[in-house]
Amino acid sequence: MTRQTTIEVPGETTIEARGLTKRFGPTVAVDALTFQVRSGRVTGFLGPNGAGKSTTLRMILGMDTPTGGQALVGGRAYRDLADPLRTVGSLLDPAALHPGRRARDHLGWLAASNSLPARRVGEVLEQTGLSGVAGKRVGGFSLGMKQRLGIAAALLGDPRIVLLDEPVNGLDPEGVLWIRTLMTSLAAHGRTVLVSSHLMSEMELTADHLIVIGRGRLIADMSMPDLIASHAPADVLVRTPHPALLADVLRGRGGIVRGEPDGALAVTGLTSEAISQLAAAHGADVHELTTRRASLEQAYMNLTESAVEYRASRATTTAPASASASTTTPEGPRR
Amino acid sequence: MTTAPTGYRATLRSEWIKLRTVRSTYATLAVAVIIGVGVGLLDVSSIAGHWDTMNATDKAAFDPVGDSLSGFQFGELALGALGVLAVSTEYATGMIRTTLAATPRRGALYAAKVLTAGLFALAVSQVFVFGAFFIGQAVLSGKHLDVGLAEPNVLRAVSMAGFYLAVVTMVGFGLGAIIRHTAGAMAAMFALVFLTYPAARALEGFSYLPDHLVLPNAVDVLATTHAPTGPHAARVPSLGFAYFDLALYLVVFLGLGAWRATRDA
Repeated sequence: MTRQTTIEVPGETTIEARGLTKRFGPTVAVDALTFQVRSGRVTGFLGPNGAGKSTTLRMILGMDTPTGGQALVGGRAYRDLADPLRTVGSLLDPAALHPGRRARDHLGWLAASNSLPARRVGEVLEQTGLSGVAGKRVGGFSLGMKQRLGIAAALLGDPRIVLLDEPVNGLDPEGVLWIRTLMTSLAAHGRTVLVSSHLMSEMELTADHLIVIGRGRLIADMSMPDLIASHAPADVLVRTPHPALLADVLRGRGGIVRGEPDGALAVTGLTSEAISQLAAAHGADVHELTTRRASLEQAYMNLTESAVEYRASRATTTAPASASASTTTPEGPRR
Repeated sequence: MTTAPTGYRATLRSEWIKLRTVRSTYATLAVAVIIGVGVGLLDVSSIAGHWDTMNATDKAAFDPVGDSLSGFQFGELALGALGVLAVSTEYATGMIRTTLAATPRRGALYAAKVLTAGLFALAVSQVFVFGAFFIGQAVLSGKHLDVGLAEPNVLRAVSMAGFYLAVVTMVGFGLGAIIRHTAGAMAAMFALVFLTYPAARALEGFSYLPDHLVLPNAVDVLATTHAPTGPHAARVPSLGFAYFDLALYLVVFLGLGAWRATRDA
């Protein structure tokens, strides 16, 4: 990370989809998708398999032509960028290279194609820990090494926008930590990082903001804490020798109380302070009082499941979807 | 809205690095040299060795240029393979996506690929044929059968043999761009170079035009000092028509390749 300077106002829109649509015959892969990705933070791009993530990324990178709408990077269509690697670094498929070529030469032709100085090749090899295998043919690389080479290629042009599809695939724990540190550091220097992943626990550690799509449509565009709070609210675990008594009291004050299999109470709608005071006032001993934060994984499952349910129920015009309250599409912050 | 596009010279440099950093380039060139020069050498050595006992017909058919280059009847396949591999591996490995991210304008990319592969093929082909020519003449000089470049048609025959090999390379390139699978494009290239000749012969009852359009007959006038005699004479096109053949093959195969390469990858 030798060449990183703050080059941009954080919060500036750098990737934008406007009504982005892609049809393959009768199938709508991406359906009027509109979102903005801002600089200075890591934005996670999530969605179930087949949601249209890859197609969207390919349209952003000018590889697929949209059926409708447009995708802009740095205010332009990708195909109109002069030396695109200087603006956008991307990793879509780590296996997209010639197996017979040496790692150094792979980066060499990429650097030449965008008139990048040859020293960048050595720098990114160093940065990705591949200096030792620079002269090896990439066909013999492990998936993790190919992934590192793909990231080296993405960083080659010192771009202000970095777009990574499943970057931790195949990486060992040290590699996962490395890519996490890299992404947060890029964002801290004002760059834009858009990253897709299936690993929710990993996303939870890395992303500041999330864009979730399902069936080609935008489901959510909000900050990580907001998304977790709105789709998997935290609850309070209460362990007491008087569960029935305490449950009645808490329900009387608006709490929602569920029994856990081991006899404890799971309470939502009341803070731990309020529960503690109510228990004391009614003489119920409390042996444990734990605020449980929901995980991104739970929130994501709730969000995408309800989206699927919502569509299924709409399509068959059966009973109103029970989960419809959580299927609203929240707007991203506007500035 | 459009700013200065990715430099054209940068794209050319990038394609040149691609071409010279894979082993298949060197492997196909080595095969072309070994077969092309080697078989030609055997051919002229045999003629020089048997010249005193050869009959008049065989002596009349002898062409000091054509025979020294006869190995490239087979060596051309290696160059065609070089052309196929220059494109097909990009699609077969998925590397084309990396290429398109770096050079998103497909037309410019394809043009740079054609220029790089074409100029490279032309340069190595000329080196090969002139090398084979001089080696062949050195062998023939033992019987005083050799010719010099200054003699009629000799320079044309040698240099057109080189052009012909470059055209075969680029036909392979075009097929690679159209078919995108290495094995399929190789088979098509092989068929085009070898199997069109018997196919055209089968149609001779109707017309000699197919004969005049196939590459093996075109090269029989391009790369020799005097046109064939006997029954084969009707099959070969005129020299002018043979030039047209080369241009036609380039336009058709590179054109179809361009059409395909500018569609979604």
